[in-house]
Amino acid sequence: MHERSLVKALIAQVANLASAQRASRAIEVRVRVGPLSGVEPLLLSGAFEDLAKAALFDGARLTVVEVPLRAHCRKCSAVFNVNNFHFCCDVCGSPDIDTIDGDAVILESVEFALAVNEEPAYGDLL
Amino acid sequence: MATFSKVVSVGRDVLDGAAADAGDFRRRMQGRGILVMHLISSPGAGKTSLLEATARHFAGGARMAVLVGDIATTRDAQRLAPWAPVAQLTTGGACHLELPLVERGLAQLEPLDVEFLFIEDVGNLVCPASHNLGQHRRVIVLSTTEGDDKPGKYPKAFRTSEALVINKLDLLPHVPFSVEAAVEDARRIQPALEVFPLSAKTDEGIAAWCNYLTHERARLLGDIGCTTT
Repeated sequence: MHERSLVKALIAQVANLASAQRASRAIEVRVRVGPLSGVEPLLLSGAFEDLAKAALFDGARLTVVEVPLRAHCRKCSAVFNVNNFHFCCDVCGSPDIDTIDGDAVILESVEFALAVNEEPAYGDLL
Repeated sequence: MATFSKVVSVGRDVLDGAAADAGDFRRRMQGRGILVMHLISSPGAGKTSLLEATARHFAGGARMAVLVGDIATTRDAQRLAPWAPVAQLTTGGACHLELPLVERGLAQLEPLDVEFLFIEDVGNLVCPASHNLGQHRRVIVLSTTEGDDKPGKYPKAFRTSEALVINKLDLLPHVPFSVEAAVEDARRIQPALEVFPLSAKTDEGIAAWCNYLTHERARLLGDIGCTTT
């Protein structure tokens, strides 16, 4: 079960973003996974619940978007879904293809709660 | 104070940071003339036996070191110690190795002057496939006792490997295993796989495997002067 180590990497990325955004907390973390991401969405969510508590993300929601495995053909440039892990081009049959989606755990977006000072900004006074 | 929310788009692989570190590690090893090979397999497929046979074949020739990962015990390191500098990486339950463990193990072996660094991962065909250890090549070891239907069941492990070793050829008369069927299944997933059927016990096929290692090192590191046997 290596979902925990992937979630640790995910939380580190979110933490970096949070400090860059001066966010007080994360509300929703969206990730994209597919058939070759090497994770089980349910286990990913479980690991996130556990580990988020220890970070500043207690109460943050993990949304896992499942996508198909996509590939690009180097020979004919077609972009297609890879079905049944049969890695050859859907159009020309070439085995020379690169997977382009559904093969990693991608952090898509984070919704942060930002605390802002209610004093008017300098520009508003002009 | 008021709060509002803001959505920040990212679109980054969560392992991007680890991949960058792995790239640095690989370049560092490359600068020292070291080819890094990452071995994965299910438990008992014969990764350690393969490395023993490799070391026997290279004895007096190419120099190698081994980092061997296991959940517990130093048994594999003890087996390899007569042949090569070896550090046991015990993961304490973790199902795979990650780069910091590799770096720590390597530090135990320094100063090190070798041509090959083998990283033997924890026996597991799932998690190790997701983690970049800074290897030049990932090798998946499948043995004839496991069945020729395994490639299709572990697509990520086979897709992310560059070479396939089929071990325990000596048992072929006793087990229902077709080398052709296994290779066909594996190449549906990774057409570029180089395949080495061998027996680490009888040394059948070991010369071809070692030849591959030597040539990959020369090709990738641009050093044709390395020792061959």
